[in-house]
Amino acid sequence: MSTPAVTTVTPTTVDELRDAVLAHPGTLRVAGAGTAADWAGTPAPADTVLDVTGLSGIVTHNPGDMTVEVRAGTPFAALQDELAQHQQRVAVDPARATAGATLGGLFATADSGPRSLQYGSLRDLVIGATVVLPDGTIARSGGHVIKNVAGYDLTKVLHGAHGTLAVIAGLVLRLHPAPRSTPTVAVPTDRAGMADLARRVADSPVEAVAVQWHADRLLCLFEGSPEGADTRARKLVETVGGEVLAPDDATAAWDAHDAAVRARPDGRAVLRLGVIPSALPGVLDGLDSDIGGDAGGLTEVTASPRTGIATLALPADADLVAAAHRRVAEAGGTSTLRQRPDGASLPAFGPAPASAVLLRAVAASLDPDQRLGRGRLAPWIPLPTGQPTGVSA
Amino acid sequence: MVDAQMVREFTDLLSENGVITDEVGLRSYECDGLTGFRQVPALVVLPRDAEEVAGAVRLCAKYGMPFVARGAGTGLSGGAMPVADGVVISLQKLRRILEIDVENRRAVLEPGVYNLEISKAAAPYGLYYAPDPSSQQVCTIGGNVAENSGGAHCLKYGFTTNHVLEMEVVLADGSVVTLGGPTGEQAGPDLRGLFIGSEGTLGVATSVTVRLLQTPQSVRTVLADFPSIEAAGDTVGDIVDAAIIPAAVEMMDSLAMEASEAATGAGLTVDSPAALIIELDGPSDEVEAEFEQLTAICERHGATRLHVPQEAEERQKVWKGRKAAFAAVGRISPDYIVQDGVVPRTRLAEVLTRIADMGRDAGLRVANVFHAGDGNLHPLVLYSEAAGEHDAAEKLSTDIAELCVELGGSLSGEHGIGTDKACSMPAMFSSDDLAVMHRVRLAFDPDSRCNPGKLFPTPRLCGERPGKYQPHPLEEAGVIERL
Repeated sequence: MSTPAVTTVTPTTVDELRDAVLAHPGTLRVAGAGTAADWAGTPAPADTVLDVTGLSGIVTHNPGDMTVEVRAGTPFAALQDELAQHQQRVAVDPARATAGATLGGLFATADSGPRSLQYGSLRDLVIGATVVLPDGTIARSGGHVIKNVAGYDLTKVLHGAHGTLAVIAGLVLRLHPAPRSTPTVAVPTDRAGMADLARRVADSPVEAVAVQWHADRLLCLFEGSPEGADTRARKLVETVGGEVLAPDDATAAWDAHDAAVRARPDGRAVLRLGVIPSALPGVLDGLDSDIGGDAGGLTEVTASPRTGIATLALPADADLVAAAHRRVAEAGGTSTLRQRPDGASLPAFGPAPASAVLLRAVAASLDPDQRLGRGRLAPWIPLPTGQPTGVSA
Repeated sequence: MVDAQMVREFTDLLSENGVITDEVGLRSYECDGLTGFRQVPALVVLPRDAEEVAGAVRLCAKYGMPFVARGAGTGLSGGAMPVADGVVISLQKLRRILEIDVENRRAVLEPGVYNLEISKAAAPYGLYYAPDPSSQQVCTIGGNVAENSGGAHCLKYGFTTNHVLEMEVVLADGSVVTLGGPTGEQAGPDLRGLFIGSEGTLGVATSVTVRLLQTPQSVRTVLADFPSIEAAGDTVGDIVDAAIIPAAVEMMDSLAMEASEAATGAGLTVDSPAALIIELDGPSDEVEAEFEQLTAICERHGATRLHVPQEAEERQKVWKGRKAAFAAVGRISPDYIVQDGVVPRTRLAEVLTRIADMGRDAGLRVANVFHAGDGNLHPLVLYSEAAGEHDAAEKLSTDIAELCVELGGSLSGEHGIGTDKACSMPAMFSSDDLAVMHRVRLAFDPDSRCNPGKLFPTPRLCGERPGKYQPHPLEEAGVIERL
């Protein structure tokens, strides 16, 4: 059986993107830097790949208004470098950013990092978007001002859409000042102790912007002026122990954390989950016991005890992954498969929520023929009849 | 139309007390805070819990009735104005705080809970709810969700959408879904964020889970008078350039201060051309250091007076002067219209100059009270209905909103589009943009029974005169049908 050749197109403007969508009937897969190519559902083979990395660069940056309009294929790290020249930044820190991920890719995959404790995720920072629908419609929502309630906030529905519904061509973001000092306090603790310790950090007035557990340490990040942030870091050490890391050690600690989040351990799948914070320790322990020590338990665990978000690796076994999704769902949380060994068939999501009906209706309104990213949100959005459905949890 | 059978079914569901059919009772729901638009509903129902809301919505579906969900009715864009021959679903009986979860810093609320009640209930635990619309004593969290409400402190802390984690929502067919989740982590698209700010056109929220924040260790506020609006505006620019993110930066002009001072005695300088209220919060040491920087910036721009309230009570008095300004304008003008446009902050001076010119041309006074930090203007167009100035005031108000769009901003920063600004939407969005929004609306509500006639422009609403048929641009785009 021969596989039909896949066409790849690389538009460089919104109009070219629209033309490409119209000129290539059939199914489309949006591709950015490829750092999350196997996240969420396994995409069905597409007729055409829309390589959006040609849509690159800043459209307008208004430092005085602290807003920037950026083409979706722009590497996030390059955007941050550019903004840093104006002592500004986009206040999110997903681990993939340093691996070349594009802004559009980070948005479409709803990725976020430790600073989401303070700043939320990209959905909280995006104030406008230009998108191209599978029927060639170019639509904008939001605008260039941070405060704006005119019309539906359509941009939000593409956050976490994993390349379905519409192609993101450009985003407008609100910016924050770049902090002059970013000290980190590391406090040793095992996983059993992380929640109580993180609670003590939260209850003190030190205002850490990230509190993240990795490799038997709680890493607490501060931002601000050198005198202010450094003082708060020292106060935290006085309160809960640990040490203020030397700058090189702090960089190394966060690099190791990000490397764990990005890790692709052999034969293992990576799951991202979010539960109510107080339920997180119990859910992690439960997952460990479900898997059993013989299978290696959970590895590469990073956790944010105050947001309830964790990333972890587990055996790439369909039953175990399904059980993990169910355990998270039973705790009222959500989970998404992030990475899987090549060719492994694993459930991407937990049991479908009641809102999946609504999700299917929205998908049918924007992409009635399921041209975009078919399979990415399966089984919540099942493949059209006649195609194999996604693996169910 | 309402018939006896339908009323009986609503009464069976909600009891006699939960159904209003008499003319006087119905009339008290005829408008929201935008009193210029009125419509008496066919029926008002008052469910007592989420289940009854779902039941009432199902009855509306059964009888094909349009419905409008209503909280406290404080909205300023006519979003809760009833629909002719439609049902108003009042959520004023759903007023329970279902949970204050201190450990996880969140609150679960029924939609009719007043905004300020959340912070009051959380205060004993050192927590509070950040979005603080000026109407926070009387507006509800359900209404805040519908409008994506902001407030003075949203410059630093964000809007309703940044603070709502999860909602239970009744859809137009009466089915119940949960949108969002217990954390910001999402599996699949953010339908929660789409729903927030949809002005009641996608469904009815029956419970709302919000994040609570730790009460800041220290708060410092200054009320600074300036010799001109420009000097005040430049001060805000320098604060931003100094990488200070104040909790709030509010500006008032002399007309607004005159009105507010008469009403509140908050200590505003009535003959000052402009004043800023700037607030910093956070860890004590840093707030003190930044506050010194801040007052130095004010002085550099010629501040004529710096009033620094020392006690919480004194600070609240200053804020009262700001938050009461809208209502106080009634003291200096028999009638007025509140606008809500937004411009990029760097264009504040330009827009204020043009608004002043437009006011002069129209022969009307315009008072300005606004969120200077994020460019959200609240020009108050003063007029006299009795003197026949209504139409001129309406036109000036609309022109100001559309001017904001022209300058790269938005028609609305926090009050919503509702009935008031629906006809201006084509100034901000193309027919394709609006058509896509409408497609999403139909995905949620295929029969357009949730708060119809709001947010989207319609020829009838937008005053097309009968006569030779001319297709409306939105008709051509398939967004609307001619009614």
